[in-house]
Amino acid sequence: MARHPHEAAERTGPPEVHLSDREVMQDLAEKYDAACPKFWLAVAVAGGLFALGVLAFVIRALDVGLSDSSRNEYGYYAAAFAFLIVTATTAPLAAIAFRWTKNHWRRPFSRAAELFSLVGILAVLAFIPMLIVLPGIDLNGDGVLELGKDRRTIWFSAPIGAPIWWDMAGLIGVVVCGLALLWVSARPDMAQIAQVSNGLRARVMGRLACGWQGTVRDWNVQKGQMAILGAFYFMLLVWVHTLISLDFALSLIPGWRDSIFAAHHVLTGIQASAGLLIVVLFLMKKVGGYDRYIGVDPFWSFAKVLLGVTLLWGYFWFSEFMTFWYGRDETEQTVIKLLMVESYRTAFLLNLFFSFFIPFVLLLWNGVRKSVLGPTVAGASVIIGAFFMMVRLYVPAFNIKDVGAESIAEFEAAHGGTAAQLLPVLPGPLDVLMVVGMMAGAAFIFLLGTRLIPIMSAWEMKEGLMYVLYRPFMKGKYLVLGKPE
Amino acid sequence: MAKTGVLGLYSDANYAAEAGDGLQRMGISDNDYDFLTGAPYPEGAFGEKESSHRLYVFPFVGALCGLTAGILLTSMTQMAYPLVTGGKPILSLPPMAIVTYEGTMLGAILFTVLGIIFESRLPRPSLGLYDDRITEGYVGVLVECEPEEVDRVEQVLTQAGAEDIKRGKV
Repeated sequence: MARHPHEAAERTGPPEVHLSDREVMQDLAEKYDAACPKFWLAVAVAGGLFALGVLAFVIRALDVGLSDSSRNEYGYYAAAFAFLIVTATTAPLAAIAFRWTKNHWRRPFSRAAELFSLVGILAVLAFIPMLIVLPGIDLNGDGVLELGKDRRTIWFSAPIGAPIWWDMAGLIGVVVCGLALLWVSARPDMAQIAQVSNGLRARVMGRLACGWQGTVRDWNVQKGQMAILGAFYFMLLVWVHTLISLDFALSLIPGWRDSIFAAHHVLTGIQASAGLLIVVLFLMKKVGGYDRYIGVDPFWSFAKVLLGVTLLWGYFWFSEFMTFWYGRDETEQTVIKLLMVESYRTAFLLNLFFSFFIPFVLLLWNGVRKSVLGPTVAGASVIIGAFFMMVRLYVPAFNIKDVGAESIAEFEAAHGGTAAQLLPVLPGPLDVLMVVGMMAGAAFIFLLGTRLIPIMSAWEMKEGLMYVLYRPFMKGKYLVLGKPE
Repeated sequence: MAKTGVLGLYSDANYAAEAGDGLQRMGISDNDYDFLTGAPYPEGAFGEKESSHRLYVFPFVGALCGLTAGILLTSMTQMAYPLVTGGKPILSLPPMAIVTYEGTMLGAILFTVLGIIFESRLPRPSLGLYDDRITEGYVGVLVECEPEEVDRVEQVLTQAGAEDIKRGKV
């Protein structure tokens, strides 16, 4: 039994646990039906910025073209795309993982996490230009892969369609899996909305619910479906992180060999998506009107996970760094100079500061972890950190023309002892618009998604209420949580 | 003759469980009645039979197909175009694993989606016998019975504490 959080109650208020199914259903249906003007303003702003981003991309494409030779013009686009993958596409993992571990505190944000699957559609579309500008493997087209002449990739034996079709197939697989997961999870709520709504919404929801009745078998099959799809989402998402990080960053920088880079990329995704969900939870509580369902518990629990992942992030980065630093090989030194200490020093320091120092220093303290604002600030920090990490990885990778070289250390030094291909690339106005547009596009799709599917899972909240109550015990009141299995 | 559906509605889940017991005593097969709820109850809470599904078979079959396709694709490509790269053998396992892993995953996901459609009995053209109150916390006991059994079934459901009873197509 956990002690009733009196202190937290004064600051944040515990979630209400004495609600009936009817109250939950009516309340959530009302919130779902009525979107305030602020919401539509946010949709309009996100949509407008998204449109500007698309326009900026079109101008850039018309200006410089869209091919391997103009790849250096799309470094920030690639960084924004990778940022989309590490945040939005990774977010459904939280719903999957905490549902597996049967955590009650995940209930308020499970659906929000799954709704990010919709952003996967944008990721697939945004991936097409990335594939077009990606150089081939056999650079000189002689049918033989040779070191120093051709590009080094994981597509060692160049199977049919590598890497373009395999990369795209992987991403589409993740998106299909995520959308299927969202549909399976939201089906009971869609059926219930169809029952309590009228008009077009009732018809659409009724169609999407596909005859959901809520029989014992329906629930059992749904549980199995979510478990299987969740497992595959996890397995394929890790793979997509690996493909994107290796094909669009590591293999474009000649001589860069790093065995834990892909794993670090995945970890950054887990960290950033956790941060994203904490921020979304905060907005749901403070702006969305879901305060009565969200106590301090999800923030407190998520903060512990975030602290663990942050420590792991620091360890991964240091492991990466020290191998290169101790190696003292000329290529390794040049890679460190490029990605960390010289060309992209500012982005690297911001990355380290926001991804590690800020969340670590904040979440070290129990008082901060056990609050609503503390984890939210830490969450926002890791999102910013992840963005700068993507900038310092993908912008330099896309700026290298001579991807078939044996090592970047061989590039002819030009300006101040640094090769031209290794100099930092600062974003222009179009780059800024493309980056902002990509993020705004994700927000736009997510916000519109909440009008289609409720952002809070009614059936999971109702299920949770069956297993939770406050009971007096001696002189205190304690939270009693049940577990169905 | 087509079977008739009878739906008993209970505000208390315990009464719904008692209705299940009453139906069993009456001789209604546990395949012919079900419990409708707005949220998942723990397995066995109503004393219902263990429901089974074959959902787990689909991803295994899909994974096997994907794995086979991946192995065939990589090995046949490498045999057809035998390029020695970096002094490694023509059939090297690590690069083959990359494609076979992805093929396995894609096959498993594709078949899982098919499994979802199949095991969810889709498409379902109509909702069947239902009541809005189930979304508000009521528990429905849905019985499929012969027309001549309807009165007796209704009596059992009422005796267990049903607040309302509906008839219709299942």
